[in-house]
Amino acid sequence: MNSDHKMQQKLRHEAKALLEQDKVDLIIGFEAGSLKFTTTPLITKSKDDLDRLVINPFIVNNLALFLPDFKGRIAVASKGCDSRSIVSLIQDNKVSRDDLVIIGIPCPGMIELRKVEKLTGKDRDELDDIIREGDKVVITVDGKGSEFPIAEVLSDNCLACEFPTPQDYDILLGEPTATSQESRVKSRESRVKGQGSRVQSHGEGGGLQSEASPDSRLQTLKAMSPQQRWEFWRKEFSRCIRCYACRNICPSCFCKRCFVEESEPRWLMPMPRWQENLMFQAIRNIHLAGRCTDCGGCERSCPVNIPLRCLTKEMYDLVDELFHFKAGMDKDAPPLMTHYEQEEAEDLIR
Amino acid sequence: MSIEYRVSSFEEYRGGRREASKLKTQNSKLVRKKDIGSVLHQWSKDYTIFVPCNEGDTAFTVHGSRLTVYGLWDGSDINLDWYRNTVTPPKANFLPPLEEMFRFQKGKEGHSMELPFEPGVWSLESGVPLPQLIFGIRPCDARALSLLDLIFTDAYQDPYYLPRREGAVLVGLVCLNPYDSCFCTSLGIGPGESDDVDLLLTDIGDEFLIEEISDKGKRLMELTAGLKDATEDDTARANEAKEKAYGRVTRKINTEGIKDRLLSAFEDEHYWEKVAAKCIACGICTFLCPTCYCFDISDEMVKKQGARFRCWDSCAFALYTKMPMENPREEKWQRVRQKVCHKFEFYPMTFDVIACTGCGRCIRLCPVNWDITQTLRLLD
Amino acid sequence: MTASDIIEKHRFLAQSNVYLPHIMVIEKIIDETPSVRTFHFNFKDEKLRDEFTFESGQFGEYSVFGVGEAPFCISSSPTRRDHLEFALQRVGKVTNALHRLGVGAEIGFRGPYGNGFPLDLLQGKNLVFVGGGIGLAPLRSLIWNVLDNRDKYGDIQIIYGARSPADLCFKYDLDAWGDDKTVDVITTVDRQESRVQSPVSRVEAGNSRLQSQESRVGAGDSRLQTADSRLLREGFVPQILGQVAPSAQNAIAIVCGPPIMIRFTFPVLEKLGFTPEQMITTLEKRMKCGIGKCGRCNIGNIYVCRDGPVFSYAQIKGFISSEY
Repeated sequence: MNSDHKMQQKLRHEAKALLEQDKVDLIIGFEAGSLKFTTTPLITKSKDDLDRLVINPFIVNNLALFLPDFKGRIAVASKGCDSRSIVSLIQDNKVSRDDLVIIGIPCPGMIELRKVEKLTGKDRDELDDIIREGDKVVITVDGKGSEFPIAEVLSDNCLACEFPTPQDYDILLGEPTATSQESRVKSRESRVKGQGSRVQSHGEGGGLQSEASPDSRLQTLKAMSPQQRWEFWRKEFSRCIRCYACRNICPSCFCKRCFVEESEPRWLMPMPRWQENLMFQAIRNIHLAGRCTDCGGCERSCPVNIPLRCLTKEMYDLVDELFHFKAGMDKDAPPLMTHYEQEEAEDLIR
Repeated sequence: MSIEYRVSSFEEYRGGRREASKLKTQNSKLVRKKDIGSVLHQWSKDYTIFVPCNEGDTAFTVHGSRLTVYGLWDGSDINLDWYRNTVTPPKANFLPPLEEMFRFQKGKEGHSMELPFEPGVWSLESGVPLPQLIFGIRPCDARALSLLDLIFTDAYQDPYYLPRREGAVLVGLVCLNPYDSCFCTSLGIGPGESDDVDLLLTDIGDEFLIEEISDKGKRLMELTAGLKDATEDDTARANEAKEKAYGRVTRKINTEGIKDRLLSAFEDEHYWEKVAAKCIACGICTFLCPTCYCFDISDEMVKKQGARFRCWDSCAFALYTKMPMENPREEKWQRVRQKVCHKFEFYPMTFDVIACTGCGRCIRLCPVNWDITQTLRLLD
Repeated sequence: MTASDIIEKHRFLAQSNVYLPHIMVIEKIIDETPSVRTFHFNFKDEKLRDEFTFESGQFGEYSVFGVGEAPFCISSSPTRRDHLEFALQRVGKVTNALHRLGVGAEIGFRGPYGNGFPLDLLQGKNLVFVGGGIGLAPLRSLIWNVLDNRDKYGDIQIIYGARSPADLCFKYDLDAWGDDKTVDVITTVDRQESRVQSPVSRVEAGNSRLQSQESRVGAGDSRLQTADSRLLREGFVPQILGQVAPSAQNAIAIVCGPPIMIRFTFPVLEKLGFTPEQMITTLEKRMKCGIGKCGRCNIGNIYVCRDGPVFSYAQIKGFISSEY
């Protein structure tokens, strides 16, 4: 029985108890999705639904997103980044801590299906199975299993995660996750050789196109000249269709009315031109300064693969560098952009 | 301005056109896959050719998943063995995400207007001359265009969509490897459906079998040199492939009486609230739906020159229906209901056809796996 | 179709491009209330002035170039053809821009769109007009249409209300209809005291006389007044309608106003014995294209722009509770 399964059992048990003892009105967690290797939010008031709750490496959505939508007392399953988003919402007075029961999931990282697809050359629905075993993952295609280090397929934001264990919780479903970057990088170095005949092993340089570091894309971008970078984003944002999935999946984008939809004054045209698309993301990122917890939801949800995390992670790092601030760590702290400290001025205004 | 023509039903509208254009005897040819480039080359004299290609799979992007779109054919050889379907549906070739409708300027004599393109060149921005040939369109997406024809013809003819559409040639490609999110067979379309294309290609190994479906397709074939006639054996192999593909579509919905089920569920707020709870009200499922057509119109003016544009819009957005004092679809569940009912209740009421082709994009691309087939199944 | 066919087709459609507006010139502006203005306008191309025809209840898409387009009904009557009129409340981007325009300014216009009121159904009937606020605009097109063919119709009753005396639109019309002995006009306000006190919009104490605001171009007599006998009542339109209790016998009620008024008016009419077929309304929805393409104005499978905006209650009954 792996740890996900144990946590899943405990989650079902705890959720049931919370409803039975009338401690909450609503449970928000994950259930199996309708597609392979997919989960979907489970939002329910019914005890009968709780056996559908799951924990697996595909519970990618940041469930903090749903909290402002519902009234009453809510129990919410929460990974490290989700819990920080919840705290951030509390800081912004969007939800009240008293109404919440945070069921913490010490998070071992989420598997990025796009990486699996790149690794295997197959679409997700053509894969037989993806099984995580500790630091390894076994991907089965056409009945044949191949083993990879887990770091090959984890999301970039998970590889870079500083706080995989929830920062604030009422119930923790397992042992806190050993942090994080160091251990994962280490595991990457000691690649596991194949065991057993079913599993085919991939060694170093076995044609794998993994990233050297989770932020290598960002570093590549930073190494470009401004002209190159401008050209890069022009190209990327030419694809944007302005579906606003990046905004709507984001718990920090809680505004009832977004600046992009204001018509008086009209900040931005509603049409998908790259200039407008880029401005939309630029302004969105500024609004997210000190709120973004690097959950990776925006990039993951983008239907046209715009590398949005290159923007959000840069803002995340900037906030840390300029203000020594990490989003969603202290529910009693004021939101970053609502207060000012004297020593900030010198650094900020150049 | 009086209404020109009302479309009474899909069957009647398309039936007439199909009768006029469909061939009595279908003729089949054969082309080697590696010769497709030279065939496209011949066609490129008369058409602007769009082919499925991968975008965004650059060395830079960590995400390797295929971002397939219809792109301008660059004249090179193409291999479509990897190809399943595009992310952006081909409606974008006829109803672009953004298009300039006309330009205007204010001079001494007042305002004047002009269309932004030269005759024969549809859009200056892309420089794409008409007509288009879409190579490799899937049968579901070709059906979607037939469905869009209804709304853009009904009552008033759309002067942007229709000329593009009427000029275009659709070269279909049988869908041998449908996604697990596909449910086209429930909508009366199979992976080998030929009703909505001009030519239909089937991959039979090293070769494509080409079936002439319409007059347009036949004329195109007459202009094409270097094709072999297909044998009965080839046709048999193609039919077998189609049948196999048909069986691969395992996701199903029950369309029998669906209009009436939705009608009786329309006022069931509890049901809609429940199914809408996890929807994030983004525009993915509508923008990338091959049959969604809603658009917004907006103006832009710098100094004394400006233009009117139209761009895709979505019923998922709260502001879509917002009026100064009221918003009839303020709540998310009302907008989810609109989306579902528009496809499965209202379109059938108006045109006697469901405005869904089961392409599965809305399921496949949804960030929270909101699945319309599950929603509909709850009503069974 | 060959490339040259396409170009030909394109030329043809471009010439009759339904989205291309006509250029219109504003000839006169009347301030109806602090936020409502009536514009008199005409085709810049004089040829089109004679060719253009429309029906009461139809609407157009009006544009301020560079700002955008918005739909408003044509508020003048097709029986009075020397110019066209539309009236609008300042509520959003386009309406604000329109309110900033002066006489002589150019606007874009395309239309007429929609179905208009069913005149053949109305002929020979007693007509009960129920209007609220700026909802009188489409009704007044029909009322003048009917009055200009007075002998074709039965009794005419007009029940019109606004939030406050200052918010009553078309006061010059109310006066004119009040003077017409063949018409029964009942005017009501939600509150007698005007919320926004302005010197020209107060109700004169004692005789309940109602004054129009001074219109910018002075609509004839700039101090138009309601006739003495027209007492300004106090109460919501549906309430007053219930008190006035028009007979449903051989009658048709034509209702137009804010959605909330429409919602409360139908039950009152039903109580008075009007069948859903005897109730007609004209609906307002957010619209962009005006021709049934852009998608947003639907109620069920009906597009308000293409299939309406005039409907019988029987047509929209099923949807009215939850989507209107």
